[in-house]
Amino acid sequence: MGNTTYLAADAKLPYCRGCGHALVVRQLSRALEGLALPSRSIVLTTDIGCVGLADSLFPYLHTVHTTHGRSTAMAIGMALADAVLPASGLKPIVMIGDGGAMIGLLHLVHAAQLNLDITVLVHNNFLFGMTGGQHSAFTPLDWSTSTTPEGNRVPPLDLLALLRGAHAGFLDRQFATDGDLNAVIADAIAYPGFSLVEILEICTGYGGLKNKSKGMALHEVAGHQGHSIGRLKAEQPRPTFTQLYRRDIESKTVPLVGNEGSGMLDVRVDAANHHPLPPPPAEEGNQFYDREESRPASLRDAGAADLRFEIQDSKPMHVVIAGTAGERVQSSAALLCRAALSAGLYTTQKNDNPVTQGSGFSLSEICLSPQPIQYTGMESADVVIAVSQDGWNELKANGTLDALTPGSLLVLDSELESESPTGQLLRQPFRHDATPKRAALAAIAFWLGKEPVVPNAAWHSVLAALPVERRTDVSEALRIGANLARQGGAPAD
Amino acid sequence: MVAEGALAAGCRFFAGYPITPASEIYEVMMCELAGRGGLGLSAPDEISSLCYCVGASLRGLKAMTATSGPGWALMSETVQYALMSETPVVIALVQRLGPSTGGATHGAQGDIFLAEFCTSGGYTIPVFAPSNAAECYELTRQAFNWSERLRTPVVLLSDKEVGMTTEPIDEAALAKPAIVERTWCDASARMAAYDIQRVEDVPRFGPVGGEVKVTVTGSAHDWQGRLRKPSPEVVELLLHLQRKIEAHAAEMAMVRSDLDPEASCLLVSYGITARAARQAVGMLRKEGFPISFLQIQTLFPVPTEALRRAAAGIRTVLVAEENLTGQYRAVLAPLLNDRRLMGINKIGSMISPAEIVRAIRRAGGTIPRADWPRQRSSEAEVREPAGTRKAGV
Repeated sequence: MGNTTYLAADAKLPYCRGCGHALVVRQLSRALEGLALPSRSIVLTTDIGCVGLADSLFPYLHTVHTTHGRSTAMAIGMALADAVLPASGLKPIVMIGDGGAMIGLLHLVHAAQLNLDITVLVHNNFLFGMTGGQHSAFTPLDWSTSTTPEGNRVPPLDLLALLRGAHAGFLDRQFATDGDLNAVIADAIAYPGFSLVEILEICTGYGGLKNKSKGMALHEVAGHQGHSIGRLKAEQPRPTFTQLYRRDIESKTVPLVGNEGSGMLDVRVDAANHHPLPPPPAEEGNQFYDREESRPASLRDAGAADLRFEIQDSKPMHVVIAGTAGERVQSSAALLCRAALSAGLYTTQKNDNPVTQGSGFSLSEICLSPQPIQYTGMESADVVIAVSQDGWNELKANGTLDALTPGSLLVLDSELESESPTGQLLRQPFRHDATPKRAALAAIAFWLGKEPVVPNAAWHSVLAALPVERRTDVSEALRIGANLARQGGAPAD
Repeated sequence: MVAEGALAAGCRFFAGYPITPASEIYEVMMCELAGRGGLGLSAPDEISSLCYCVGASLRGLKAMTATSGPGWALMSETVQYALMSETPVVIALVQRLGPSTGGATHGAQGDIFLAEFCTSGGYTIPVFAPSNAAECYELTRQAFNWSERLRTPVVLLSDKEVGMTTEPIDEAALAKPAIVERTWCDASARMAAYDIQRVEDVPRFGPVGGEVKVTVTGSAHDWQGRLRKPSPEVVELLLHLQRKIEAHAAEMAMVRSDLDPEASCLLVSYGITARAARQAVGMLRKEGFPISFLQIQTLFPVPTEALRRAAAGIRTVLVAEENLTGQYRAVLAPLLNDRRLMGINKIGSMISPAEIVRAIRRAGGTIPRADWPRQRSSEAEVREPAGTRKAGV
């Protein structure tokens, strides 16, 4: 900690004679010396290209040499992780070229938007130097490169203007030859938030020789592009992502309540559970971990509620519920599954809807079984419940109706226009009597009134688990469906 | 349950990008992490997702992302970086029907090659394949354990049918392998890089930002992490990346076997198809057909010892998987070259138990190959040993 010399004293810089990279490396070291930051609080994240050789020159800093363009992205990850760690204060400094800036442009934009405390030094020498002088997105108009022998026809990217649109707080453009570059770099590093300095250089190997006639003084090159030099933007710093994150965490006095399915397990990591190595799980005689199959018991054997109805042959019963998106088809199916579960049945539920999710059909496929369910698909449905035309049309389209057997039961809304499918048909005015949003649940209750696969008592625990405001709605739908079952529902034809 | 397993394993960082059928993992992690002192972030693409995870892991957090085939395709650059730089990270890859954007809401098991063989050099990436919600939980914990222990990327390979089917779990019966942490270097170390004694050793981890100077690179490097052209030392470190996995292959192997000593036929499956296969085995046994069954959970490194034991005395091995060409069968083929190896394959929907039963009956031990009936196109098809007939649907 606390090294005041950041660049190795005996550093032999690996760059071509006259290359701006050497100047930037020295100026960065001077900037760090001026700021006197603890060396272990800095991570130098370098990109692919000649610029990527810089990491080996700073023996006291943490260094991460990355893939092309990703130096900013890796730095984002480190800065984000730093937000949640108690001993925080890591400062990523990204060293990237013009090639890396373009291939990793997305990361620069996102780092600026997030306003993470990262400083990016873009070494813009207007082309790809390491690979032989190919043009880049930053190559000036008319420049000759190995890939634009007739002159570059694509206008160069104004990175700073672009990042201004991404709400970057500190943007500056300098020449590598500027004597006070170290001060600008120091300002950028000290800025609390995202900062970027674009440093213009000439690649002595490939840039200068071919374009001498066009004026190789850096101010001329920048002038031709219309690029301003100096501070483009230095706003009053806005809160960094890290600051916002911490504020959010501190303001959370109530622990987060998970959505369905999460929070049901005690998933907090218990320090006492940590072991340096996993206990060998292998069985005796085997090196590998093999759990021989055991025959799982029925939930009923484990003392779950008695079933009033036997599902025949212990085979899963397959139920398809179809309706219109937004009409609580899938959530009603989920309630059925919960009721079945509390009655001692195993269940699986799969949902389907069009790509848009909020329009067209909505469909759930359910398996109910007294035994654990292996295969979750169905060759043919035992029960089809359709409460809207959208749902019915999808059942026709996806082959569900074609696969029905004479033993299948169809519970349909009276309004449906349907042909006579295979199976026993029951029609009731679910939409009319219960409203479209309650139709699916009413139809389920109607079906259970006819075939008590799930006992009524099972719904009590389902209702008890619902938020109060949903309870009335659900019990009303169940009541309407059960009444319809009592009143009639003889086969329609 | 992948998210639950990750949280239980101590995952504190998640970066994701929406993609069916992996979005639910993303949503749960985003909701849950902040309340547990972690951080979930929406990345602008999948390249960023995994880069952010790698960066967070380098800083010392356990990290995960979740995606499907199209997103995984974008991640392969950073998977290789994590492998080369020895950075622990877990990727939950929830398969869907490919190629390209394919069928977002259709399951498939077509990413076996894509997941495993995505590195230049063909390094072994541990791949664990759960077949149900409970296994998602257990294998995610295992994925973190092995990723941390070996400092390497690990893939949790499920699919739409496993990932998006709601089913109950018995919480008390969940397997909860003990949590493993990466081995950290102590503060007195001079530096944290790639310092190992034996080629299969895992170097000690030092976090970027810690007291010990860290040098990380994805380029060919010496033990200090310095970029070097291939020298014997550099080549040794490249070899080490593979040797450290191989040295633990036997310990990493997880299978569920149901073997019948009378059987001459072994059915092998994994992931979602293992469920149908298990049911098919029950149906066949009910008819008096002796058959052994092996569900493979650790797809890679291939559990060779478990396979050898299951295949002892077996003449015909059938591999059921929901892909076109039998990707995992091709992986197993060199290990079973003295047996008749056949595939039960299908795309577009799950292979059903009845299809597996029919396929096994058709293939069943005694019927000469020439007499096999032609398969119907909608049916899961039986495929003969590779090379004996041109593949076609």
